[in-house]
Amino acid sequence: MKDIYILGIESSCDETSCAIVKNGCEEIATVISSQIDIHKNYGGVVPEIASRQHVKNVTMVIEECLTKANMKMEEVTAIAVTYGPGLIGSLLIGLEAAKTLAYLYKKPLIPVHHIAGHIYANNLVKPMRFPLLALVISGGHTELVYMEDHLKFEKLGGTLDDAVGECYDKVARVVGIPYPGGPAIDRMAEIGKHTYNLPIPLNDNSYNFSFSGLKSAVINLCHNEEQRGKEIIKEDLATSFQEVVVEIISKKVERAIKDKNIKYFITAGGVAANKGIRNELTRLCESAQIDYSFPAIKYCTDNAAMIAAAGYFYYLDNRISTIEINAKSSDILK
Amino acid sequence: MRCLYLDTSSSFLYTGVVEDETLLCDRKIRFDKDLSTNALITLVTMLEEKNIEPNDIDKIILVNGPGSFTGCRIGITIAKTYAWALNKPICTISSLEAMSLTDDEFDYHVPLIDARRGYVFAGIYDKDNNAILKDQYIKLSVLETAINNMSDNFTYITNEDFDLKGNIKKYDPDILKIVLKYRDRESVNPHGLDANYLKLTEAEENLNGRES
Repeated sequence: MKDIYILGIESSCDETSCAIVKNGCEEIATVISSQIDIHKNYGGVVPEIASRQHVKNVTMVIEECLTKANMKMEEVTAIAVTYGPGLIGSLLIGLEAAKTLAYLYKKPLIPVHHIAGHIYANNLVKPMRFPLLALVISGGHTELVYMEDHLKFEKLGGTLDDAVGECYDKVARVVGIPYPGGPAIDRMAEIGKHTYNLPIPLNDNSYNFSFSGLKSAVINLCHNEEQRGKEIIKEDLATSFQEVVVEIISKKVERAIKDKNIKYFITAGGVAANKGIRNELTRLCESAQIDYSFPAIKYCTDNAAMIAAAGYFYYLDNRISTIEINAKSSDILK
Repeated sequence: MRCLYLDTSSSFLYTGVVEDETLLCDRKIRFDKDLSTNALITLVTMLEEKNIEPNDIDKIILVNGPGSFTGCRIGITIAKTYAWALNKPICTISSLEAMSLTDDEFDYHVPLIDARRGYVFAGIYDKDNNAILKDQYIKLSVLETAINNMSDNFTYITNEDFDLKGNIKKYDPDILKIVLKYRDRESVNPHGLDANYLKLTEAEENLNGRES
């Protein structure tokens, strides 16, 4: 069979990215232009600023990717692009660029769901096998997705309020770590010890999550300790917090693996880079004797390689769109 | 020489192709929130109806704002991708510059676009379309005083409803006229193309306010 090269474009939040992936599994080139240094001045992503940066960067990022891959647009089989969910103004830039390229070069246009992209980042590590369970954890998402086969997504549950990564960033902010503080909490958790008792949120038999109560508990704890004139040991708080997160996540994952008779487990999204969570999920899979994979750290956060990888399977499934497609800030994974 | 004109800086899509001294085709359609769905397909359909292939365009003339931030970005992304990918020369004009060309009756033209909270994006242009007051984000009352002090032979040009004293002309772009006037403007590197917002984001304004 002829090799299929998918050019992927991603701009759903604060990263402008372009990548070329061969046959859905082999990364040829990826370029990511991150805006994190700009947004950290504001304590989080400012949508209008993100859109303004995307429009500045978009063609440069695509050109750099083609140069890195030593390829011409003509050699690309199809163009995959994130159409949603995400920040609408940001999504529109990648989407308009992709639509224009599809028109100019008469290439098939493949709109990809952002979460599908995160899941398919794992296909760049090793071929996904089914039935699989995917845990998607990031600054914007916390979902458990069951897949019977390629592109057959069934959402088992998700967060009812804050995403897990959002909770990490907020806890970091409470203890004075600038945005995005999630990764710092993970590092601190390694050296702290369990000291503070925090509630285990939504400790029930559903596959859903809730993190806003845990966030509030951390804020209250800090206020109470402050009023008592006691200093919070940041590392110990990080450890205590992370233990609760790891416990509730692994509990729900473990049950889903059992209920659905899962043979293959994957993790995806920015928080999949978290060491504490990785270690516990690894232990869990090994003890359940099931196969598992984590995306390479560079593919955990938003990137276009994952969109191109997912785009390959969309392409095989003939999920081609016209250039009339619009961006969607929210959309169900299907 | 075939020039493609594109303006998505308002709730309207204005696009057309000018070949030498003739307007081959154009579209002037109000889309409001559906602009991102419709802008490119409308442009493509217009080109295809005239059997114009992407490579048949010699230069792109892009309106890069001020106006609707999202609207501007849609047109800019299409135009900069087009110009970069096919290596086509591209130049930009301001939406107010284009609007000002509507009139040749009065000494001064005052194109204006609503920027909310009593503010407008506006400029003052003379008969030759030179900017007398450069495009800016300005309080409407301040602009009114400025133009009234300057002359009584002027007209406002706008597509929006303002409570204004004086002559008001509706903006309906003469694409041929705009293209003929500006097609020789110097081309820019498409990678560097950006919107002419004329206004920082609120977050930036607040941050600057805190720092100063």
